Amino acid sequence: MKRAVSDIFASTRPFRTVLAIVVLLFALFAVWQPGFRTILNVQNVLASISILWIVAMGMTFVLVSGGFDLSVGAIAALCGIFLGKVLEAHLLPGPVAVAATIIVGAILGGVLNGLFVAVFRLSVFVVTLASMTALTGIVLIWTNTQSIYVTNPVVNQISISRLLGVQTPIYIMIVVFAIFLYVQRRTYFGRDIYATGGSYTAARLSGVRTERTLIMVYAVAGACAGLAGAIAVGRVGAAVPQVDPGLALQAVAAVLIGGTALTGGAGSVVGTAFGCLFIGILQNGLNMVGVASSWQYVVTGIILLASVLGGRVGGHRGGMLTGLKRALGFRSPPPADSCAVEPAADAASGRGESDR
Amino acid sequence: MSLESTGPHSVAPLLSLTGLHKWFGGVHALCDARMVLQKTGVVHALMGQNGSGKSTMLNILSGQMRPDEGVIAMGGSRMTFRSPLDALAHGISMVSQETALAEDLSIAENILLGHRLIRGKMGIDWGATRDRAREVLTQVGADYDPAWIVRSLRPDQKQMVEIARALSTDVRILVLDEPTSSLTDEETKGLFAAIRRLKEQGVCIIYVSHRLPEVFEISDEMTVLRDGVTVAEGHKGDFSPRSLVAAMVGTEKPLPLREGQTCGSGIPVLQIRHLSVEGSVSDVDLEVCEGEIVGLGGLLGSGRREVLEAIYGLRRPSAGTILLSGKPLKNDNPLVAIKHGIGFVPPDRKTQGVVLPMSVKDNLAMAATSERQRLSSPRNGTIEEECRATSKLLAIKAELDAEVMTLSGGNQQKVALGKWLLRPPKVLLLDEPTRGVDVSAKGEIHRHLRDAASRGIAMLVSSSEYDELCDLCDRIVIFFRGCVVATIPRDEATETRLAALGGGTKEG
Repeated sequence: MKRAVSDIFASTRPFRTVLAIVVLLFALFAVWQPGFRTILNVQNVLASISILWIVAMGMTFVLVSGGFDLSVGAIAALCGIFLGKVLEAHLLPGPVAVAATIIVGAILGGVLNGLFVAVFRLSVFVVTLASMTALTGIVLIWTNTQSIYVTNPVVNQISISRLLGVQTPIYIMIVVFAIFLYVQRRTYFGRDIYATGGSYTAARLSGVRTERTLIMVYAVAGACAGLAGAIAVGRVGAAVPQVDPGLALQAVAAVLIGGTALTGGAGSVVGTAFGCLFIGILQNGLNMVGVASSWQYVVTGIILLASVLGGRVGGHRGGMLTGLKRALGFRSPPPADSCAVEPAADAASGRGESDR
Repeated sequence: MSLESTGPHSVAPLLSLTGLHKWFGGVHALCDARMVLQKTGVVHALMGQNGSGKSTMLNILSGQMRPDEGVIAMGGSRMTFRSPLDALAHGISMVSQETALAEDLSIAENILLGHRLIRGKMGIDWGATRDRAREVLTQVGADYDPAWIVRSLRPDQKQMVEIARALSTDVRILVLDEPTSSLTDEETKGLFAAIRRLKEQGVCIIYVSHRLPEVFEISDEMTVLRDGVTVAEGHKGDFSPRSLVAAMVGTEKPLPLREGQTCGSGIPVLQIRHLSVEGSVSDVDLEVCEGEIVGLGGLLGSGRREVLEAIYGLRRPSAGTILLSGKPLKNDNPLVAIKHGIGFVPPDRKTQGVVLPMSVKDNLAMAATSERQRLSSPRNGTIEEECRATSKLLAIKAELDAEVMTLSGGNQQKVALGKWLLRPPKVLLLDEPTRGVDVSAKGEIHRHLRDAASRGIAMLVSSSEYDELCDLCDRIVIFFRGCVVATIPRDEATETRLAALGGGTKEG
């Protein structure tokens, strides 16, 4: 029992900093503003970040694989339009239409981004910028810049309705998170993503299908964007021909705050979850205490810089506090289980997502 | 130190490095090394095996490093070079092995880059700059248009541009570090013509090469380094190819006795017939038997590495066949090779051998599980057990969950090797299997390799260390310029003989 608790504690190491920040932030607002800690408000916080959460899960895999995806906002918008068009024409029943939307997102991500990144080895930045730009245009052309109103009950249900007093998007978030956590920790595909991002060449030489892994990673990111697009449609009650230009970058920010390295090979969806919570709590809390919500961007920017700086100094593995501590000259004792001989590979680092 | 004092009649040598010492941590890289260039207009060859201290000496000479002890003097006056620019200011310029040119700029820009582009009233005067570049190019006998973009040049032309760049400053001593390693015979001739031309103009050239015939053709005098000590120096006429190699290699260590002198079962596993790879390998025949370790020796770029890469599917052969257990093998992908039971330990451990941020277990399991269903779980006990067994077999000093980046070089290399021993392949290809690991780990890895061979794995080991090949292999195949020049059984192999063959000398 004691062993299990310490194992769980050890496994939190890479995102302990963001965890601490989230807890502190929550406590701060809870004390400051009693209205903040009501169950209703906590639900609101969660529901408000559901779209970001789902997109950021897919983005975590992309970053761990060593990539980047600017196009998820555009894919989400296009998938929303697809859903609106399908329902408007009564082509498919509600649930099937939503599933089809997710598949369309996966195909867009896998074919447009994955193929060009993995097979043609083009820069991820160029590829996803290009697909973002082109898809934004298609959204406008396809809709003629008119919104499509959606009245289908299923679609509205996935965004607005409640089950046992809890909003449905929260269930969706939990399910998506559980799937990602399982894939990350317990499947060969998950291992392949880390191997490909950690060292593309070493992975390829060891027989990892690096190209297929990358295509899959972008398809998964696309599928997440598709689901996020469907939720957005349900929330507004319409498919709006508008691409949220900040969605992709906000998702990347959440992933980075969660301790995933931009250089690939290390990171965790658990950290990303806390990164999203941080953004949600900050937004909601500042609102409640009456601070202009624009301040959240300033704070997010500062925390983002601090966490990446900490990650850099800490070798991308030790988490922010370790890194900052090291930058300031404190040294933490090396863990007993490592045999550090090379000075370059400092023993004080440890990427704790390793499955125990 | 005026020009007069460096003239042929003065007593003080043009350049002398004496009593040089340099330590890197505990390693004594230079230990009382010396090199003296008496007069201008000579080609001085600096010889030595890998790790003999040549690069350290060149780095000291070109101002990139400072010696811990020792005197650098030019024309009798003592010098201290604080930076490459400092050395340049004293007329010493180095052209390193890899060309360092801005590929997308013109020849003129590359030659005169830095503060030497000629400025007119209206910014840079391109006309004058090109004229100056053309002038320098003529000095080496190259009639290129200075407006050409460097990317479009052949390797030897790039080399010329680099030499021209060195000459655009007032150079008196030009260091050429393995200038011919990427040149063809024809291109080498052109380079030699340029070197002779520079000699006539009074430029001194320090020439570093592993190719012995070349050295005897172009140089006038030689300095030989071994283990950081200058072991021989003198005029070219004082050396023969045999005595030069003997000086480079030193006393032969007796071959270590090997328990169980198994030289394979005699059943060929891998046969290579007339293999050619565009630009690097031509018409190579090879055979490896079950349980046999065959070594591939030769200089870098001699084709030994490319043969391994072709077998593993990283390079497409332009001709020839690869037979695995008698069946022809067609592959253009490492995965196909793995399926057929071929493993590969790549030369660069940190970027190719292991995934540094992953755990020992995940690294070990990677090759064996490349055939698994992607969405199935890697946590079933058997793989974990196999990893544990392999880790124990190789005595990897780390927990299975430890990140590989926290391991020492030797243990990392054991992980890179261990991933193939989980499911032993028929053929294991190894490229520089002990590069950058310490002596004790090296001996340990050799022992594990021989163990694995005694269990029936056929091995091809490519190495630039001739003593490693002597220690490890049952048979050694020497490559030179893409061809097999000799195959030597273990009991006839000596380091001297391998080094001479690898350097291009023919056995009578």
